[in-house]
Amino acid sequence: MSLLIQTILNGLLVGGLFVTLSIGFSLSFGVLDVVDFAVGEWVMLGAFAGVASTTWLRIDPIAFLPVVFVFFAVVGWLVAPLIYRVRNSRNARPALMALAFTFGLATLARGGMLTAVGFDPRTVKIGVVQGTVTLGAVEIPTLRLAGFAFAAVATGLFMLFLYRTRTGLAVRAVAQNKEIAGLMGVDVKRTSNFVYSLYAGLTSMAGVLIGGIYSITAQDGPTYTLMAFFVVVLAGLGSVGGVLVAGLVLGVLESLVTVYVSADFTLAIVFGILFLVLVISPRGILRRGTA
Amino acid sequence: MSRALALVTSRGGRAASLALLLLVLVSFPGWGGDYWTRILTGVTMWAALALSWNVIGGYGGYISFGHVAFFGIGAYTTALLMKPGTGWNFFATLPVAGIVAAAVAVIVGWPVLKLRGAYFAIATWALAEAVAQIANGVGFTGGSSGMSLPINASTSFFYYAMLVACVLSFGVCYVLLERSRFGYRLKAVRDHEVAAGSFGINTTAVKLQAFALSAVIPGVLGGIFAYWITFINPASVLDGSLTDQMVVMALVGGLGRISGAAVGAAVLYLINQQFLASFGDTTSYIAVVGALVALIVLFRPDGLVSLFARGNQTRLVWQLLGRAIPRARPSAAQRPGKTKEHA
Amino acid sequence: MSVLEVRDLRRSFGGIEAVAGVSFALEEAEILGVIGPNGSGKSTVFNLLTGVVAPSSGDIRLRGKSIAGRKPYRIARAGIGRTFQIPALFTNMTVQGNLYAAIVEGDWKHAPERAAQVLELMNLTPVRDELASSLSGGQQRLLEFGRVLMRDPDVILLDEVAAGVHPTLRATILGAVSELQSQGKSFVVIEHDMELVRAICQRVLVMDAGQVVAEGSFEQIASDKGVVEAYLGVPVE
Repeated sequence: MSLLIQTILNGLLVGGLFVTLSIGFSLSFGVLDVVDFAVGEWVMLGAFAGVASTTWLRIDPIAFLPVVFVFFAVVGWLVAPLIYRVRNSRNARPALMALAFTFGLATLARGGMLTAVGFDPRTVKIGVVQGTVTLGAVEIPTLRLAGFAFAAVATGLFMLFLYRTRTGLAVRAVAQNKEIAGLMGVDVKRTSNFVYSLYAGLTSMAGVLIGGIYSITAQDGPTYTLMAFFVVVLAGLGSVGGVLVAGLVLGVLESLVTVYVSADFTLAIVFGILFLVLVISPRGILRRGTA
Repeated sequence: MSRALALVTSRGGRAASLALLLLVLVSFPGWGGDYWTRILTGVTMWAALALSWNVIGGYGGYISFGHVAFFGIGAYTTALLMKPGTGWNFFATLPVAGIVAAAVAVIVGWPVLKLRGAYFAIATWALAEAVAQIANGVGFTGGSSGMSLPINASTSFFYYAMLVACVLSFGVCYVLLERSRFGYRLKAVRDHEVAAGSFGINTTAVKLQAFALSAVIPGVLGGIFAYWITFINPASVLDGSLTDQMVVMALVGGLGRISGAAVGAAVLYLINQQFLASFGDTTSYIAVVGALVALIVLFRPDGLVSLFARGNQTRLVWQLLGRAIPRARPSAAQRPGKTKEHA
Repeated sequence: MSVLEVRDLRRSFGGIEAVAGVSFALEEAEILGVIGPNGSGKSTVFNLLTGVVAPSSGDIRLRGKSIAGRKPYRIARAGIGRTFQIPALFTNMTVQGNLYAAIVEGDWKHAPERAAQVLELMNLTPVRDELASSLSGGQQRLLEFGRVLMRDPDVILLDEVAAGVHPTLRATILGAVSELQSQGKSFVVIEHDMELVRAICQRVLVMDAGQVVAEGSFEQIASDKGVVEAYLGVPVE
């Protein structure tokens, strides 16, 4: 029994990070109308930035988070106009070509990192938070707790920005309807760039913590793309609110499968459930998204 | 001179050059040597794989990021059927490999082909990952240590097996996609699904058929490949980079062009072999593939081949010939423009 | 028996009723006009009739057989053809390819002859081998209309088929409509152009806010004060 509670708790704590990496993904889908296949690569690159901070700079990755954010936000800012350009080109199938474009970027990132660091798994050594906190019968790794705390703060700030600021309003307007937002004076292109940049920074930061909790290899990006996609499909494509629930569900699911089945089958099972959701209710379990 | 040009571009001329190409391919093991025969085996395999991706990607308008799944499924099907104890004949396993791959495609495609392309893209990718995990995890595939097949050391045997599979694939796809009702159905659905439905086209069925066709080919090729390399494991037949390669070959060749896949495959397979020879690994090749996909989408969405296509082609030829030759018969030079390849 | 009968058709999107109880009947060899301000639900009615959108409630009968909620391709095969307000061409196919694709589920054997006829009729023979995406706006509408001719449906729904088409070609389209009418085909025509409605429609429905607010001949409609106010009171594009 305590194992079950332990497992579910562990899952919920990691689920927080899944929420963080999916929420920007979902929003950037809403704003850019592009499914970013590179989402997992931001996680992978963020994790390796964390590895670099300890091995080269000897700075604790937690203290390094702001640098990771700024760096990847800048990278995202540079990449976004290209995605925007492909998505809004006069090409026959801009949505698919944009998907292929982000696939190309993801492959470039994966191949580049594999060439640079090889296939070996690495772990981000986070020194500040170690050991476990005991709560009755269950022991919670402090790192997971810190990961959840980070996720809660990051997601909270993100939601505040989205629902309590003028820029956030513009972002939501673009996600709702680009044409009307444009008519109302919102610069759609600028907003898209901004959202993508914010999302790249946020996701990379989540990557640092994910790299601390799990080990990471240069070819793990697509796995996290699947995670993000799972969350967003469960939530309904384009629904930000549903992501909060679906991310936690994924965390618990992953944790349960790892403990009670085998870590080797996580992806297969996640895919199986994703498939069932698509068969039964393509607009997400909350029926709020768009098919 | 312009007559020679007209000859190459005319219908009969094209048939003649195709026949010449076939003659070269068929006779190749006789004079090309073992090394180049093996290289050409790889080229023909990749040409057919890129073509299969192009069927659902270029003609169907749905991007598959998990096409390697069908290749792997085919490879494992053949390996399992040829195992001592089952001991099937190699050729008998190939139709089964193709059918199993197509069946998986239909089951997976049925829910996601009704949805927008992004769902399909990720679902196919997830399928490939799931198949790889299953092959790694279950007992009967040998897990990550893989499976061995009976050994057949004849280079030309596999060359001809691949060549026949490749020529058949191109023939069937050409007839179905460019010379039959099915091609019109599929292209109509790709270009405007709602309008296609308004002309009585059963859009979901057409997409499923296309996806099944697109899965049969890698299924069969996977079977041949397994027997060729005599040992398979998830890392060799279910690796995601195989999909990457199909995508980039089809993109280089141009989406929705039959011949594009062959050109893209030839160019990239040779580059790939060069990378292997020079760096000993293919990780940097993955990066190059990624960059190439991104650059083609940005600057040449019609494929690199479009640089030399139609109007450009004639212009290029004229430039090469210089302006010394009078344009005696412009009509002959314009002829290629009349038969648009992605009609 | 009417060719097409629509009873109390309804469809809402997210709480807003785009079509709120529409009923009408279409007789054999009749041309029925549908007019009304933008957003009054005309195009949604077309989407309901062709199965692109499923009705929330109500019934649609084609020659007595219910087709409400059927798949679009089944409805098309049952004998309804349509054009789209924004031309829905197969942009990466040639003009001729578009015509072939339109008849792929029909009399395929005679596709080349039919396509040649339609190309001639629509004045598109010179651009036969061009990609549909390279056509001018007017030519795109001609091709959009020409595709419907390929399949010989009993009921044809035309959504602003002549908007932006050169006057002589417009006459060609209207001529083709009259010709088909004399062969017993029935039409439902969404139009903003009142001259066109007056010229070809035997009967006119006026829609507003998802409902039919008036019905009658063009003269009756034009003299109906309520209609003139409701319809002409709002800007017509």
